[in-house]
Amino acid sequence: MNFSQRRSFAADKPIDALVRFEDVKKSYDGVNFVVKDLNLDVRRGEFLTMLGPSGSGKTTTLMMLGGFERPTLGRILLDGRPVERLPPEKRNIGFVFQNYALFPHMTVAENVAFPLRYRGISGPAAAAKVREALGRVSLDTLGDRRPSQLSGGQQQRVALARALVFEPSLVLMDEPLGALDKQLRERMQIEIKQLQTSLGITMVYVTHDQSEALTMSDRIAVFHDGRIQQLADPETLYNEPANRFVASFIGENNTLSCTLMGREGDLGIVRMADGSTFKAGSSSTSGTGAEFSLSVRPESIALAGSGAGTDVNRMTGTVRDVFFLGDHMRLSLEALGGQLVTARIPARRVGPFAPGDAVTLECNVRDCRLLEA
Amino acid sequence: MTAVDIDRINIFMAVRRAARPARRSAFSLALPLLAFLAVAFVAPILYLLVTAVANPETREVLPRTLVALQDWDGKSAPDERVYAALAEDLKVAKDNSTAALLGKRLNYEISGMRSRVLAAARMVEKSDGGPYKEKFVQLGQEWASPETWAVIRRDGASFTPYYLLTALDLRQAPDGSIERVHGDQAIFLDVLGRTLFVAGLVTLFTLLLGYPVAYVLTIAPKAIAGIMMLMVLLPLWTSLLVRTTAWVVLLQSDGIINDILLGLHLTSEKLQLIFTRFGTVTAMTHIQLPFTILPIYSVMRAIPATQLRAARSLGAGPSSAFWRVYAPQTLPGVVAGCLMTFILSLGYYITPALVGGPRDQMVSNFISVYINRDLNWGLAASLGVVLLVVTLAIYLLFLRLVGADKIKLG
Amino acid sequence: MWLPSYATPSERLLRTLVVMLAVAVLLFLIAPLFIIVPLSFSKDPFFTLPVREYSLRWYEDFFGNARWMTAIFNSAVAAVATTILATTLGTLAALGISRPDFPARRLVMALLISPMIVPIVIVAVGSYLFFGQFGLTNTRTGLVLAHTALATPFVVITVTAMLSTYDTNLTRAALSLGAPPTAAFFRVTLPNIMPGVVSGAIFAFATSFDEVVVALFMTAAEQRTLPVQMFSGIRDQINPTIMAAATLLLALSIILFFALAMLTRRRAR
Repeated sequence: MNFSQRRSFAADKPIDALVRFEDVKKSYDGVNFVVKDLNLDVRRGEFLTMLGPSGSGKTTTLMMLGGFERPTLGRILLDGRPVERLPPEKRNIGFVFQNYALFPHMTVAENVAFPLRYRGISGPAAAAKVREALGRVSLDTLGDRRPSQLSGGQQQRVALARALVFEPSLVLMDEPLGALDKQLRERMQIEIKQLQTSLGITMVYVTHDQSEALTMSDRIAVFHDGRIQQLADPETLYNEPANRFVASFIGENNTLSCTLMGREGDLGIVRMADGSTFKAGSSSTSGTGAEFSLSVRPESIALAGSGAGTDVNRMTGTVRDVFFLGDHMRLSLEALGGQLVTARIPARRVGPFAPGDAVTLECNVRDCRLLEA
Repeated sequence: MTAVDIDRINIFMAVRRAARPARRSAFSLALPLLAFLAVAFVAPILYLLVTAVANPETREVLPRTLVALQDWDGKSAPDERVYAALAEDLKVAKDNSTAALLGKRLNYEISGMRSRVLAAARMVEKSDGGPYKEKFVQLGQEWASPETWAVIRRDGASFTPYYLLTALDLRQAPDGSIERVHGDQAIFLDVLGRTLFVAGLVTLFTLLLGYPVAYVLTIAPKAIAGIMMLMVLLPLWTSLLVRTTAWVVLLQSDGIINDILLGLHLTSEKLQLIFTRFGTVTAMTHIQLPFTILPIYSVMRAIPATQLRAARSLGAGPSSAFWRVYAPQTLPGVVAGCLMTFILSLGYYITPALVGGPRDQMVSNFISVYINRDLNWGLAASLGVVLLVVTLAIYLLFLRLVGADKIKLG
Repeated sequence: MWLPSYATPSERLLRTLVVMLAVAVLLFLIAPLFIIVPLSFSKDPFFTLPVREYSLRWYEDFFGNARWMTAIFNSAVAAVATTILATTLGTLAALGISRPDFPARRLVMALLISPMIVPIVIVAVGSYLFFGQFGLTNTRTGLVLAHTALATPFVVITVTAMLSTYDTNLTRAALSLGAPPTAAFFRVTLPNIMPGVVSGAIFAFATSFDEVVVALFMTAAEQRTLPVQMFSGIRDQINPTIMAAATLLLALSIILFFALAMLTRRRAR
């Protein structure tokens, strides 16, 4: 599988890894595992996002790194030192919680000064650091307020300032933008990313929002069912999903069943359900006759042109529905032996379609990928 | 066992091991209170249970007699050896002034034994030696009766079911069989029944009066509901004694209620209100009302107003919508409130003591009487056991149906 | 609010009746409490209204009587000691029982609550017989021990309720920022659950200060508490001085009640 290759790649350069998970398992009841055989290196200075649906194990993984949960089996190395038994207050990791966890009985400045006290910084030195940290998130004037007097976005910034003020080399964030509205969330994404880059911090970020992950991350680990399904940079993840789960979780995807007939270089030749022959990129080593899913994104599908190129797959079918969505049209086509194919076609190119019309669509073979069924 | 199984077991053990420190540290926080309650709450109650069956008097006062009685056939009067042992024991008892204790204990089971034991002790002291059989029988024919000796021998045991049986209006005949007590000695089942009845009555009244209040609290405008809530919570906060005092004053023959009744010409003469069942139930209902109202209210508050609208839009009339849609959903609150009031009503002491008449005294009041006036700890403790068993049975029901974590204060 | 706009006439009538019944019940709840207030200020020694002439003679009687004053002192001492013990023990237990890892929680909770449930006379008699073995009857220590047992459920309930709304991430945040566990508790957890702890303390104080039955069994003349003094007074011959005592107790209850209400409101904010 794809991610195992990447794992060995990371293992080749251990100097890079600030955090290393080694065969980590976590179970609360001894029967069901929330995290199964986790192996992951977080490189120094990178922004790594753990992305997945709820219950996929990403938050538990973050909590184990933060020291709030202990792995049942396996090791976690921080800077090469095993830390499974190190209590959270000794890890020197910045942690930004869901809903911020600001101390309601302290002012903003007191909140930000809190970690300094335990690092022997007090008096004017602490005050200066607090000012600097609040300035960094443009809240210089609000130090005397209580958290309850701030807006959601401001609270978020205070949480960020508090987690950064003691200059940790690693910062963890657990769905930090979940409570904000869409616009604010997008602005904060950029601010957080800028802070991370300018301060050179290593960031591990948990979210279930794929667009957030794609926007901010250097690398994304897609979690599902307690395992990393794929670990890759955003582009690879989007264009070369390792399996059906990743293909369907990141963006929209058509997955069409097919059977491998043969190979042609790095392309696989497959027979679709209606008997037609398609070609698609494949990294699999399975032999002829194996069942696959052919995945292709809706925006990679277009109306068939007049030329009959060899590098395109073509399908003809009946229109089920058409939706006008402003800049594009969504076309659902029943094709390839009764399967539904969705295509996103720029609006200006679409003719007057109606349900029941016969249409031929095509996609470049390089945009199609074979995934293990 | 396969390798996979062993692996699975190892992992299971690892999980348990990993969880142990957290479990231990959580439990250690509760440990001081648990230890405290064990000493200051559970131990006294266990001691009460032991007191209910403890039977030290005969064993301690008549050790020689009990040894001598071991080979007694149980059919006829015992031989001189037993009487001599008894005389010896009574001599010691006279010196330690424990004869009265023994007399009191035996008197519970055979009336007249108290004076007989004391007379025998005096006789032994004055007597210049045996043989004693003759002398004892001269004091009273009962000393020759096998029944007397059977009871003495039975009471030599460390534990006795006597008090518990008495608390249930039962007794053990000299031959060991258990029979029902009749006549004016059979009072305790009546007291228990009365306690259950009064508690049931109070529960019913608090429900009938409290349910509409809980409902109105949910539909009243916010400000008014706040004031109404205050009127429910403030009595709950006021000392039970103050509330009972208020009722003592109100129910006096020359008191305010009678004044009002006379003033309204609802009655032509002063009614006896205090020291009556009516007074007791009224005062208890007043005191228990908030306990019934609050759980019902908290359940009602959680029922969305749209439910009744939905029922109406589906064709149900007002009363049908209420009884078929609303009322069933309030049932958990009704159960919680009623069980709580019933449990608490069972243990009432102050209010019946001050407002009730002799026929309104509950189990608790009898316990107090047997401790303070009759100094009959065994019987007091046994009545306590009966009351405790009934209460705990209903508490278990409460735990099953409602749960300890659902108890809220205000 | 009172009536839906779609109500039928018969429904309106019924609802009006229900509201009137509820108001009557509320008056039934509240009126008896305040009956004693005017009576305590009456010059006459009978319990009738309206009061013909007001005076403070029963209060003079109350404050001038060494027995009542000793009783107040005894009650206050027992209540304060009970409050300190019960609040400490109850808060610790609530902290433990609120953790997700607590073993056998339902069973332990049922046990911790049971002093509220067991009939008070059983607690009183059991304490009287058991503590008597150690010479603790007719001592303040014995009374405080028994009262603490009775008061802890209230603390456990209020603090547990408070903790159920407490965001445990606050403690985690304090730890992640470098605070050792004890510092995290005293600087972050405790200030945030303080309203629950204080509510529990108020309940504990009221439990001890108002308690009669255990005090009846566990005290002699020297430790006699205010409620016991009142109880014996009512039993022997009810007199207006008792009205003055009852009025003062009522005033105390109202003060405690509003102190609690303020706390709850602050908590809700």
